[in-house]
Amino acid sequence: MAETEAKTAETTKTFEPRIVAFVCNWCTYAGADLAGTSRLQYAPNVRIIKLPCTGRIDPLFILKALEGGADGVLVSGCHPGDCHYTSGNFHARRRWAIFRKLLDFTGIDPQRLHFSWVSAAEGAKFADLINKVTDEIRKAGPFEGANPARRRPWK
Amino acid sequence: MEIVESIRADAAAVLTDGRAKLVIGYRDRGDRRMPVFILDPKQADLLVYDAECKQNLAAYLRKSELKKFRPVAIVARPAVIRSLILLHAESQLKPEEIVILTVGDKEYHGIMDLKSAAALLNEKYKTIAPDAGTLALVRKLAAMTADERSAFWTAEFAKCTRCYACRAACPMCYCSRCIVEKNVPQWISTAAAGHGNYAWNIIRAFHLAGRCSECGACEAACPQGIPLMLLNIEVGQRVLEEFGAKSGYDPDAKPVIGSWSPDDKEEFIK
Repeated sequence: MAETEAKTAETTKTFEPRIVAFVCNWCTYAGADLAGTSRLQYAPNVRIIKLPCTGRIDPLFILKALEGGADGVLVSGCHPGDCHYTSGNFHARRRWAIFRKLLDFTGIDPQRLHFSWVSAAEGAKFADLINKVTDEIRKAGPFEGANPARRRPWK
Repeated sequence: MEIVESIRADAAAVLTDGRAKLVIGYRDRGDRRMPVFILDPKQADLLVYDAECKQNLAAYLRKSELKKFRPVAIVARPAVIRSLILLHAESQLKPEEIVILTVGDKEYHGIMDLKSAAALLNEKYKTIAPDAGTLALVRKLAAMTADERSAFWTAEFAKCTRCYACRAACPMCYCSRCIVEKNVPQWISTAAAGHGNYAWNIIRAFHLAGRCSECGACEAACPQGIPLMLLNIEVGQRVLEEFGAKSGYDPDAKPVIGSWSPDDKEEFIK
């Protein structure tokens, strides 16, 4: 009994980040599926949101996630050239290149924002990616005070 | 003084010979300059021009009320010419719809069309923006830690009342239905609490990526004095660095966000 209590105290002490992952339907989501069917273990901190294509990921999605209290955001889709809609990921890449700099400039640590290409065959890469991203955001700590986008009660 | 007289004479001339049906310029209202819309050549004497004329008059060109008065003549400094070029590049303005009364730094360049104004801009005003003081402040902010920057912008955005004067002042904010008006779902919060401020100011700056003429009209229009040009200039610098594009100089340039190249940098994508 005492042992279980000690264990619970320990887990509440270590910070578990909340991560929102925006992934595309055709590559990264299928990759995540492969990781699951291959019985690969990865960090349970990530909430996956499936979208048709990375081109569908509006920068506002990322802002909404941060507003709602996410500690970090991951965006992932097909490798360049593999897009189901030919060029969705090329469009997305341009958007991210500027948007991540803008977020950095306004005080959102780039450590909290991750981008990746994961194909449908890369289940192991997906599991690995989630572990790495979770570790990095865990290191960055809770994003309560310093998050400029966060919802706060009106004073 | 000489500039003002030349503007008045040219405005009267284009209205008289029918090259334009309307002249948009500035008039003096004591402590401030206001836009003036002139239909009658006799009223051309109302026009003034000085350093206080910060409003970007190109913001009126997309108004549906003004469509029947095309071609329109507009008093434009180099930054406003960049806006006109950007509007043209985005198929919002045809060259034959506009006559430009071009005002330079210290001189008046006369009546121009879009093509000759673009040539003048590229020849004489290649480095009009960004302003050195603002650029220094951008660099100072960039050198801070993320938490310091967050504190700086949290304090600045806390002042925002979401009046959208920045949007109204901007010639490039011409969407008939802006993202803040889309409420299923409510993308930008309209609550009195401040959390919509960050989303609004960030998305405004981001939607102007590669299409900001750096005229400063948004900052001048902000009743709360939020340094919006810091965001615009930062985005402009990043667009230049990533894609080598300086907005508003090439009338035939493709929009930066909205086009792509297979060779775009992607060192940040793991």
